[in-house]
Amino acid sequence: MLQISNLMVFYENALALNDFSMKVEKGQIVAVIGSNSAGKTTLMNTVSGLIIDTKIKEQRKGGERITLYGKIVFDGKDITELHPSERVKEGLVLCRERHPIFPESDLVENLRIAGYLRKRSEVSSTIEYVFDLFPTLLRLKTRKAGFLSGGEQQMLTIGMALMVKPKLLLLDEPLLGLSPIMQKTLVDAILKIRKEAGLTIVVTEQFARPILPVIDHGYVVENGMLSLDGPGLELMENPEVKAAYFGV
Amino acid sequence: MLEVTIIYGFINSIILALIALGFSLTFGISGVSNFAYGAMYIMAGYAVWIMINLIGLPFPVAAILAVIFTALFGLALYRLVLLRVRGMVISEVIATFGVGLAILELFRYLGFTGFEYTLPVFTDGSLMIGDTYIDHQRLWIVGIGISLALGLYLFTRYTKTGLAFRGIAQDEQTALSLGINSDRVAGLSVAFGSGLAAIAAILILPRGTISVNEGYDVLINAMAVCIIGGLGSTVGVIVASFMIGYAQMITDAFSGPHWKMIVSLVAILIILLVKPSGLFGKQKELEERI
Ligand SMILES: Nc1ncnc2c1ncn2[C@@H]1O[C@H](COP(=O)(O)OP(=O)(O)OP(=O)(O)O)[C@@H](O)[C@H]1O
Ligand SMILES: [Mg+2]
Repeated sequence: MLQISNLMVFYENALALNDFSMKVEKGQIVAVIGSNSAGKTTLMNTVSGLIIDTKIKEQRKGGERITLYGKIVFDGKDITELHPSERVKEGLVLCRERHPIFPESDLVENLRIAGYLRKRSEVSSTIEYVFDLFPTLLRLKTRKAGFLSGGEQQMLTIGMALMVKPKLLLLDEPLLGLSPIMQKTLVDAILKIRKEAGLTIVVTEQFARPILPVIDHGYVVENGMLSLDGPGLELMENPEVKAAYFGV
Repeated sequence: MLEVTIIYGFINSIILALIALGFSLTFGISGVSNFAYGAMYIMAGYAVWIMINLIGLPFPVAAILAVIFTALFGLALYRLVLLRVRGMVISEVIATFGVGLAILELFRYLGFTGFEYTLPVFTDGSLMIGDTYIDHQRLWIVGIGISLALGLYLFTRYTKTGLAFRGIAQDEQTALSLGINSDRVAGLSVAFGSGLAAIAAILILPRGTISVNEGYDVLINAMAVCIIGGLGSTVGVIVASFMIGYAQMITDAFSGPHWKMIVSLVAILIILLVKPSGLFGKQKELEERI
């Protein structure tokens, strides 16, 4: 479903991703594990195309800072040059890191803004689906999103992505800064949406422990390079992974 | 006397709100301060005049065409100029102000000055409220002004485009990652703001003659309202319009119409000294903007 080949991303002269390749099959949950500044967000922004928008904006102002090489194929289509808003229409949706929401709008309005590409009737039925998935959100319906807790905002971001009805969902560090209970809620939700909505999911994390047991395949990135990959359970047994990404 | 001040202060406040609405909308959504705003207002006025008097179109048709034309002009301004300097505040200000200056002075150069440049009122006649005469046009202004403000509120909350406006006003990257093409929506916001300038012009200009100088006054008033209310805040626009609106009326009543414009200018200075982000403003970078 998603095939990334030999991706290279430069910020000025700094290499953020170095000859990175990975593959995601339909219906899989795939993890990208890496520590701070390994290049996870760069990868997510490149796949979702946001980096192209940043690049275009910088070029308009006369700067040539970002350079991209490599190829991204999604659903049999080469999307390497596609504008991010077009990629969303193809069904490729990113939840950016640190749960960005629209702080001035209330929770329901956030979901309705996220339903921009959908029909009115689909919007209301998907909102109901989101409340089904995260019942906690239901009683916070009219709360301004800026006043939600980090965990609630994270649920909302995932809900917003679901509003688009994606085929492939990219989650950039969805578990960051959450309690073990909240992490479990989210991991369960991830499993549930894969099952119910038939989604394919790519998730990045620094800590492998909560996510490895549920993934089909994992990639470990160090300094922008692929250092090893394998099925989730295999990575769990790997002493290097244990030492570096399991915390204390 | 008091009654007149209250009623005309109210009308004057609605006029200010009407003038500021488009300027504030564009800024609130795309962060673009459109300093060609006053020029677009005057341009719309002349466009209607030309269509009626030189082409012979009926007034309603000319009015609608002028609104569409001004909105398209705003879109073109965004596509051809603003897109390339977006985010660079000084360049935005200089570029839009330059375009505005060129338009206004072009009209002056072409000789569009004189008493014959007037627009027709919507309906003739007047009405008595208590002991105060109010002409129909001012009632139209109040009615349409209030409906527009309400309509705009509903539009930004219940339509797709309106919700997209609210989205990119808050977080452009997040909106983009949900499939909202932020460049396109920002362009629409400039078009909308320009269209609102045209509507304001068609409503307000029939009270006098169209003059190039009024373009500058309109920009100053729009800025005054937005600076005092806080750039991008719709509640701020309404509150500030009433504050300046009544302050102008009271000044007018006690010291003559000549001092009316001074109120806006002094108000800008006071608010920038006391609370630079405006009464309802969230934009902390206001000091850099103006
Ligand atoms: N816009 C940018 N301009 C310049 N350098 C950047 C930019 N974005 C990221 N980098 C650099 O690229 C490298 C990879 O960053 P990235 O954000 O992809 O890491 P990450 O794996 O997401 O880290 P974290 O876990 O902290 O979020 C870092 O060294 C970072 O400083
Ligand atoms: Mg990151």
